[in-house]
Amino acid sequence: MMTAENMCENRVDNTHDMLKQKCQFISTYAATMLGCGATCIRIRKNVGRIAQSFETDVEMTILPAHIILTLWDLQHTHSYNCTVRPIGGSIDFSRNIKLSKLSWDIVEKRIPCEKAMQLYDRIMLDKPLNKWTVLLLASAANASFCRLFGGDFHAVGIVFIATLVGFLLKQILIEDKVDIRITTIASAFVASVIGAAGYVFNLTGTPDLALGTSVLYLVPGIPYINSVSDLIAHHYLCSFSRFMQAVILTVCLSLGLCGGMYLMQMQWF
Amino acid sequence: MELFINIIQDIIFSAIAAIGFASISNTPPSAMRYCALLAAIGHCIRFLLMGELNVHIIVASTLAAIIIGSLAIIFAPRAKCPPETFSFPALLPMIPGMYAYRAVQGLVMCLSSSVESTFNHYSYLMWFNGLTCVIVITGMVIGVTLPIFIFKRISFSATRDANSDN
Repeated sequence: MMTAENMCENRVDNTHDMLKQKCQFISTYAATMLGCGATCIRIRKNVGRIAQSFETDVEMTILPAHIILTLWDLQHTHSYNCTVRPIGGSIDFSRNIKLSKLSWDIVEKRIPCEKAMQLYDRIMLDKPLNKWTVLLLASAANASFCRLFGGDFHAVGIVFIATLVGFLLKQILIEDKVDIRITTIASAFVASVIGAAGYVFNLTGTPDLALGTSVLYLVPGIPYINSVSDLIAHHYLCSFSRFMQAVILTVCLSLGLCGGMYLMQMQWF
Repeated sequence: MELFINIIQDIIFSAIAAIGFASISNTPPSAMRYCALLAAIGHCIRFLLMGELNVHIIVASTLAAIIIGSLAIIFAPRAKCPPETFSFPALLPMIPGMYAYRAVQGLVMCLSSSVESTFNHYSYLMWFNGLTCVIVITGMVIGVTLPIFIFKRISFSATRDANSDN
């Protein structure tokens, strides 16, 4: 026979299990948002929205390498805590959009946690843009950059080829899980060696623009922008972390460029 | 006529640059047209401000970034995407890459200069290009981010009521 004590224990277990499931989902959601390059203010708003829809209260600390999330029931008698690392390691706006949309769907369609987890899993299975398409578009973008800076069409052609080879190397090294700093140095080195063709073979009237632009596809623009966004939203730790991450990649890019120019025995000014 | 051709070139190449850089960040194809549009408008405005009105690159870039950020807020509900999805890639063609490149050049030449006057010359080039680059980027980033914080309600509800594929 069920006693009052047993009923109370069961209720506590149910509350605990309910909080555990919701906390695990929300923390995974937040870690994925952080991993795909969402700004801290967006992560906070989306997570708050989902927690409210699940009839819970959330407290969250966003650190550069972790998210610490505590979920409370509305009476603040039970809580569950999760510490998670960012999921995914590159900027992915498509995932950012889909996850933001998921947060609104959870609120407006009253989607329960189990269903939300299924929808989240489906988003995670979505494939990114075809890598060859990205390669061509990035090369065209960098070549356009050269033209915008005043390079002639020969320089534009050199930059297109330099970016094509450098970016392909970057894709291969990332697939092989090589450290992003080594990847950036190697990619900048190769791109700058090819970019120096204008000087070496006297192919263009603007060889300095060809060389200077050939590595610009490696500039981590989005982390720089995100760091300012976090700064304005008072997330100083994340802001500093993103800024330093971008600075380190910029230094790696410069090292690769200097190495390439040294190899080609370039005169600077 | 020359100005017209230059503007058209500026529009075309900045749009291509924005689409390419957006693809690196896996921006969905539906948002790329807005990236291209915003980049073309922003870059064209900066081009006209600098070329025709002799506005300094720092002021011109900041104004262009504010316009990109504001237009992104307007387009976000239509595109059902957060505004930063297309405003951030649209900003990238305006990043003063050549200033950054010349700052690195100056640094390397400083380190390889043994004569004081030569060192000072390259040090000047490094600081001039480096400071210009940093201040231009800071102005651009603040300019594009501010509208997101001013119009928070639109910025953070742009994905609401999107047609779900799920």
